[in-house]
Amino acid sequence: MSATAQPGASPVMDRLIARTVRKHRPLSVHFDLTYRCNERCVHCYLDHENHGELTTAECLAVLEEIAKVGTLFLTFSGGEIFLRPDLFEILATARRLHFDVSLKSNALLVTAERAARLRELGVRRIQVSVYSDNPTVHDAITKVAGSLQRTLAAIPLLLEQGLQVKLACPLMKENLMAYRGVMALAERLGVPYVLDLTITPMMDGSGGPLTHRASTAELLPVLQDPALHACHAQATSETAGRAEVLPPSLGSGVTSGMDSFAYDDLPCSAGHNSCYISPYGDVFPCVQLPQAAGNLRRERFGDIWYHAPRLEQLRAVRESQLPVCSRCEIRAYCERCPGLAWMEGGDMLGAYERACQLAEQKAKLAGVANPVSALHARQAPGVIQAPVKRENGAFMPRLN
Amino acid sequence: MSTISNGPWQKNPALAWREIDDETVIISPTENVMHELNETGSFLWKKIDGCRTAAQLAALLAAEYEVTPGAALADTEALLQQLVSSKLLVPAGTATSGAPR
Repeated sequence: MSATAQPGASPVMDRLIARTVRKHRPLSVHFDLTYRCNERCVHCYLDHENHGELTTAECLAVLEEIAKVGTLFLTFSGGEIFLRPDLFEILATARRLHFDVSLKSNALLVTAERAARLRELGVRRIQVSVYSDNPTVHDAITKVAGSLQRTLAAIPLLLEQGLQVKLACPLMKENLMAYRGVMALAERLGVPYVLDLTITPMMDGSGGPLTHRASTAELLPVLQDPALHACHAQATSETAGRAEVLPPSLGSGVTSGMDSFAYDDLPCSAGHNSCYISPYGDVFPCVQLPQAAGNLRRERFGDIWYHAPRLEQLRAVRESQLPVCSRCEIRAYCERCPGLAWMEGGDMLGAYERACQLAEQKAKLAGVANPVSALHARQAPGVIQAPVKRENGAFMPRLN
Repeated sequence: MSTISNGPWQKNPALAWREIDDETVIISPTENVMHELNETGSFLWKKIDGCRTAAQLAALLAAEYEVTPGAALADTEALLQQLVSSKLLVPAGTATSGAPR
């Protein structure tokens, strides 16, 4: 009647993912409790003003609803979650409903008492943002003097309570070469880490954060570093030998866990067995695909999840049917994201420049001769690319 | 009487778990291990409330599914043994932290 899984080898996890994808069960939910924050990170995509966050009662009602429809993995994030005075009430309810709870935080407000409370409640994991082991670099990104020192002081408090801590380090121009220091820091702390090359536009589509995004050329030293494996989470020496360790990507918006065979021909998990809830009750397929399928102040989660046209459309998409990317010869090197395709290229089904550039770099590093993405192949000489404005204001097609 | 029969048992309060389409997935955060229960295992899991003994659970199983009382008891005790060994169950009244009340 029972089976004990080895999720590292993934039999139970793969079955669970396959089942939830097939039946569209929202296995994982990423719930941002606030966009308010006590840091002002230069690359952040959020508007930190409070435009009417869900109340405590509304948050608890949401938890009841998503428990009923089968959510197991629940990640609370923000903004900074510890700015919610009702955080522990929300966490207590989440655990009463038997969710597997993960947190994302900058840990500035973590105290010994709060760390102990997290443990008492049964929170399993906390992902802490660290941009460098150098305070000058880290604090320049967060715009809070002393923030690295405070964050690093909090991590031992969490570890002492037995919480699983993971460092998350988005890489951008300001800290591009700091990743080695973060890796060493993680090693010293005995925790896993994740490096993330994704810097996204603001949720309203404006591009401010993109000015901090490293170019593909600037990323080359990172992509070439043999110590990294395509910037996926690294196991620590302690976790590496444990076949039962849960995949670190679960419930994380940083890595998708898309390595499961169960996702097969799907662009990603968004809308299939995972989704995102904003502090204002909007339900998105993913934090990186901010197209509201509905709002929990007006509709029940189950009604949105099972009947929203936006989610039904998303579920119909198959990788093999993507108009450009399905024909791409270097698709295996690409980490195309439907949300970024929409935010950066205006078409969730389309190719977008950043993904193509990175795929070409990775393919080149892997030894592929002259790799060209399908998007760039279409733009090759001899193909009409775009109209060019004449001096007299008329347009003429140009052969590029 | 076996140790298992002595019961009653309660779910380890540190666990996360969810029944999804008649099967139950259980995560043991301290062990960082995932377990799954099939339909009958899930049935019993839901009935484990810190009060019921193995015999009482087996009676519920026999009443719900077409199985003899003897087979139901043997299956129930085997499952309880597995769950206790995996620390998914603890003696009733012995665990208070980590979770759901």
